[in-house]
Amino acid sequence: MKSFSEYNPITVALWYAAVILPAMFILHPALTALSIVGSVLLHTVRTKSLRGNLIYFILFFAIALLNPFFYHNGVTILFFVNDNPITLEALLYGFTASAMIISVIYWFRSFSAMMTSDRLLYVFGSASPKLALILSMALRYVPLFSLQIKKVNDSQKALGLYREDNAIDALRGRVRVFSILVTWALENGVTTADSMTARGYGVGRRTYFSIYRFTRSDRILLAVTLILEGLLLAGAALDALKFSFYPAMTGTWSPMTAVSLAAYTALALLPTIHRVTEEFAWKRLLSRV
Amino acid sequence: MLIIKNAKLRAVLGWVIPFILIPGVIAAGIFIFKEKRYAFITLAVTVLSLLLFISGYERKKTGNRRMIIVAVMTAMAVVGRFIPVFKPIAAIALITGAYMGSECGFLVGALSAVISNMYFGQGPWTPFQMFAWGMVGFFAGLLSKPLCRSRILMLLYAAVSGIFYSLTLDIWAVLWYHEGSALKSYGAAIIAALPHTLAYTLSNMLFVLLLARPFGEKLQRVKIKYGI
Repeated sequence: MKSFSEYNPITVALWYAAVILPAMFILHPALTALSIVGSVLLHTVRTKSLRGNLIYFILFFAIALLNPFFYHNGVTILFFVNDNPITLEALLYGFTASAMIISVIYWFRSFSAMMTSDRLLYVFGSASPKLALILSMALRYVPLFSLQIKKVNDSQKALGLYREDNAIDALRGRVRVFSILVTWALENGVTTADSMTARGYGVGRRTYFSIYRFTRSDRILLAVTLILEGLLLAGAALDALKFSFYPAMTGTWSPMTAVSLAAYTALALLPTIHRVTEEFAWKRLLSRV
Repeated sequence: MLIIKNAKLRAVLGWVIPFILIPGVIAAGIFIFKEKRYAFITLAVTVLSLLLFISGYERKKTGNRRMIIVAVMTAMAVVGRFIPVFKPIAAIALITGAYMGSECGFLVGALSAVISNMYFGQGPWTPFQMFAWGMVGFFAGLLSKPLCRSRILMLLYAAVSGIFYSLTLDIWAVLWYHEGSALKSYGAAIIAALPHTLAYTLSNMLFVLLLARPFGEKLQRVKIKYGI
């Protein structure tokens, strides 16, 4: 059994698309609740700590409470602030929209951790090998340039060209360092390009190397994702996931609603369940030793 | 494995996306959903137009040197983003576009968004950043002649592009949050974001002021020296 992030990057990216897009665009309180539970659980089992959540917790309430103070639609009036009614509907809409935004942020937090630059490059490479090459070269240049900036900076300091007590002078010094870096980087880049041409880049068809294979488990994960997503979208297409907040909260309810929500539950909890079962298996194996 | 190896299929994609898919998505949004699904439509159209540009670029023959300069300028923009508060991506995309042409400008803007978000966090904003910064570079390329001749025009363009970038991202955020409800606080949201927009616009102009001369001269020099 392999961990969720070890699947083929395209499969993982498709799973993320399948889970994030409905969370972003189907505004249904139950679906949004599932999305936030799934994303926070995944984040928690992945990092195994509760740190770094406070800011999002505060943000959640801030965004949620923004809405009832600006929107006064809705029939259930809770109380008045400066003669403006605060309604239950607007309050609940605020909480739903806020949960939607925070859950998408959490999905992307785990996305950034799982899709490292090489895996993202693989996904990009499937769209355009040429673009993937530019991206990978730029990615390599970022640390190279940072190192070169440090070198130039040090030599400028050693030459006595630096004054840091004056803000304008410090900024001008920064710009000078940057300017030196630009000259070096462009010349260096042209040398690289000439070297590539000399070795025959662009002569034949471009092949694209990657260490990722599309295995049986990827096929299974892909099939499961597509089936669950299909059930969810079928529910959305059949108006089973309609919910409106104003003027009064109304939602449609049919067996299809339950099916769609169950499908989304399975979809959102997939990596968490995967991770937990994997850890149990590992602990069981350890206890046998 | 999922790479589109067939050149013909790629060429077909280049036609299908602009003439069938994009109008299709807009029509579907208007007639099928019936509700105001602006957020979804704008996201879909943005992603599709990025795909269109990529498929066009993939088919084209560009020199190796030109390609590497795009990589260098992209890395420059990302390195610049590490300086706290200031974000010179738009300025660098603008300068690249003005001196190296629209295509390079677009690529530098769009790719810097992807790479800098690898460090700062991806999100639903990534396609919009790609699009907005890419467009800043693209139009700078189209206006290349007047921009290169007059520094004041370049600063003016920097101001306009700063406002354009902020509005593109703010508008989408508002659309997304208020989907399904009335859009009356739309103007209010833009006014609320005004200080941020202003700061971004000013920093953009400052960057162009500081970077236009060194970058412009050097790009010009490399262009003449190596005949790119």
